[in-house]
Amino acid sequence: MSEPTTKPSLGRVLVIGGCGFLGHHVVNLLLRDWNCTVSVVDLKCQRNRRPDSDGVQYVEADITDADGLVKVFGRLRPDVVIHTASPPAQGLGAVANDVFKKVNVDGTRAVIAACQQNGVKALVYTSSASVMSNNKDDLVNANEDYPVIRGKLQTEYYSETKAHAEELVLHANRAEGSDLLTAAIRPSGIFGEGDVQLVFHTVKILREGKDKVQVGANENLFDFTYVENVAHAHLLAARALLATHAASTAPLNHEKVDGEAFIITNDSPVYFWDLMRAIWRAAGSEKGTDHVWVMSRDMGILLGFLSEVFFGLLRKPPTFNRQRIVYSTMTRYYDISKAKRRLGYRPLVSLSDGVKRTVKWTLEQEKKTPAKS
Amino acid sequence: MGGLGEVLYYLFHPVQLRSIVQWKVWHEPVYKRDPSKEAPTLRSCFNFLNMTSRSFSAVIQELQPEMLVPIALFYLVLRGLDTIEDDMTIPVKTKEPMLREFDKYLKTDGWTFNGNGPNEKDRELLVHFDDVIAELRKIDKKYYDIIEDITIKMGNGMADYALNAEFQEGVKSLEQYEEYCHYVAGLVGEGLTRIFVQGNTANPALLDRMELSESMGQFLQKTNIIRDVHEDFEDKRRFWPKDVWSKYVDNWEDLFDPKYRTQALQCSSEMVLNALKHADECLFYMAGIKEQSVFNFVAIPQTMAIATLELVFQNPKIFYSHIKITKGDACSLMMKSTQNLRVVCDVFKTYARRIAKKNDPRDPHYLEISVACGKIEQFIETLFPTQDPKKLHAVQQVDGQETQQAQQAAQNDFWEALLLVGSVVLVLLLVSALMLGLAWYMGARFDVIFDKSAASSLRDAAKATVTTTTTLAHEEL
Repeated sequence: MSEPTTKPSLGRVLVIGGCGFLGHHVVNLLLRDWNCTVSVVDLKCQRNRRPDSDGVQYVEADITDADGLVKVFGRLRPDVVIHTASPPAQGLGAVANDVFKKVNVDGTRAVIAACQQNGVKALVYTSSASVMSNNKDDLVNANEDYPVIRGKLQTEYYSETKAHAEELVLHANRAEGSDLLTAAIRPSGIFGEGDVQLVFHTVKILREGKDKVQVGANENLFDFTYVENVAHAHLLAARALLATHAASTAPLNHEKVDGEAFIITNDSPVYFWDLMRAIWRAAGSEKGTDHVWVMSRDMGILLGFLSEVFFGLLRKPPTFNRQRIVYSTMTRYYDISKAKRRLGYRPLVSLSDGVKRTVKWTLEQEKKTPAKS
Repeated sequence: MGGLGEVLYYLFHPVQLRSIVQWKVWHEPVYKRDPSKEAPTLRSCFNFLNMTSRSFSAVIQELQPEMLVPIALFYLVLRGLDTIEDDMTIPVKTKEPMLREFDKYLKTDGWTFNGNGPNEKDRELLVHFDDVIAELRKIDKKYYDIIEDITIKMGNGMADYALNAEFQEGVKSLEQYEEYCHYVAGLVGEGLTRIFVQGNTANPALLDRMELSESMGQFLQKTNIIRDVHEDFEDKRRFWPKDVWSKYVDNWEDLFDPKYRTQALQCSSEMVLNALKHADECLFYMAGIKEQSVFNFVAIPQTMAIATLELVFQNPKIFYSHIKITKGDACSLMMKSTQNLRVVCDVFKTYARRIAKKNDPRDPHYLEISVACGKIEQFIETLFPTQDPKKLHAVQQVDGQETQQAQQAAQNDFWEALLLVGSVVLVLLLVSALMLGLAWYMGARFDVIFDKSAASSLRDAAKATVTTTTTLAHEEL
């Protein structure tokens, strides 16, 4: 069923990182809900690729190659750029830090320059809600007025580079010499099909029989967001930027989208371990909560420390560390009123449906790759 | 519960007793009605109030004078309507027009009704309804108009249900369920809000957000419907919508069959989830109340409802008995509901978390229930934020300057600690060395430890001594 007349228009849209986890969901949503021509730039374009009949143009390019990127943009001439490219957040050591810096900061700088030199109207950047967290203190119903944690206070280098890139993007809004409009989306706890982090690891914990332990009292609310909703928010922002671009007057302050960051969640914070259990249940667990052994947070921190020391001696990355304990006992949820008001954002898929879809996909992957020990 | 049983119960539940004593001793009503200054008809009205309502009567009588009589009469009028609707001995032919014309009776001096069955618990109210009518004549027209308007709407709604054969068999869809709750409870919420606003005890903005008043009524009604499921089952009434229970069992009776307990509990979870969705709007509504006695009046039933929801959640007893929150808990809740919104929010948060703790991952609505509880907590945060972004900005700036120093300090601390540990170890080593040296000097043979043959010869020597000592011991015996 095609209803081209009812679908809103976005013109020529370029998705950077369009073969990645979030990026390919953006592409899917563009094809499903929007009237537009889609192109993708990614380092490699084999995985998560749409069939040729969908008419998506795939271009392999490295965004850290600024000159090359300008040329690609010159060929594709996009109206809208959705910049989702980013290396996975999990990764330790100096090598990963170099990659974070190179892709997130230098790459984003190159994307901005390419946009400005090719008359792009709207750039939407995928930031992260983690830029507001110092990975230790709670965030209780935090909104965009909360400070972005930078420099020495930011203990995760990944978040530091995301925050830096977000700053570059938002500064580029209405910058002199170009009429590029920009916005940033800060999703919290993304999961979904194609995700090999959150749900993947949680299912692994169940398979290893480690689902008996609960650290902390499980009274900490946490925001997890289904990937399609995050993709949706990006496109709503793009539409708003295009509308602002076409308008003759600047928007009022309280309805401004350009130059703004938006926190995006499923608008459904849940107690941290409840989501874990929902995933385990969807993955086939028959257990209730009677078997659960509650370990205090302090005990968890101690064990995490010992594990770090132990694996440190073995010179291996620890399977279990203090930061994980902190995350699982931390309250970290957000108030997304700004996105609701200014973008008209509402989650398309409920948290519970998102979990079901994602676990189903994860189990299919398990079947495809029979246990290699 | 008998006298002795009660004593034993409180002996083992001192907290419960404490709450009751606290409420009785420390609860100071904001207002108290003065029966000596009341007309006999009004006194009679309050008698009926005491007779017909256990839970509402006390809070109504503590309302401020301006609200007291209109709300008491509003309650009695609706109770009168209910008494006709509820009575299965009245044939529909009589019942239906009576429900539709009930507003006319309110204007008919001396109207009474003695057609209720002898077992109808509130039949006396209608037998002496002329007292209510007499008092209705005296209240301000602005209040009377509201009472009349709601009576017309509710009477017609009830009349429609009385005629609807399908409904008499039991509620079918979720929409029907909510519509029913609207007629019997949502409308009460609407009427009360209008009375409060007229009496300047609530924010007029509530009139533009009628869905909040609706939620107040829906939350209470749905909670009662869940709790009373067994009682209603025995009375052959069914308010749980078929669209919901038929997902879990084939026949309504199966819900009460121990064989299907798991399914029944899952079904009740869905009902609880449906009710929980109103909780945040109830809190929002209460934020619009401007007067303490009115706040108490609206807050007490709400906290009782969230506590009842927690009680019935994952509780198989609802399918074979009638459960209620304990008297002690009720007193504690009343105490907390007669203070301010913040305390009431704390009650909601506490019970939301308790519900979350009872939640079972195997329940089909597990995550949705968790989301509903989280939503309550999040909404409370919007009313009373725990964090202030301005302060966080300030703290961050200070921290930014201080981290360098702090890190330096931490570094220093680390080295100091290392030094301390190092010196302790050194001292221990020294002392050990000293003691070993001294032992060696005195003749200890450390070489034995490393020399096997020497060790075995030493062992033989030791054995020899043992045998000699034992033989010696025997000889001594």
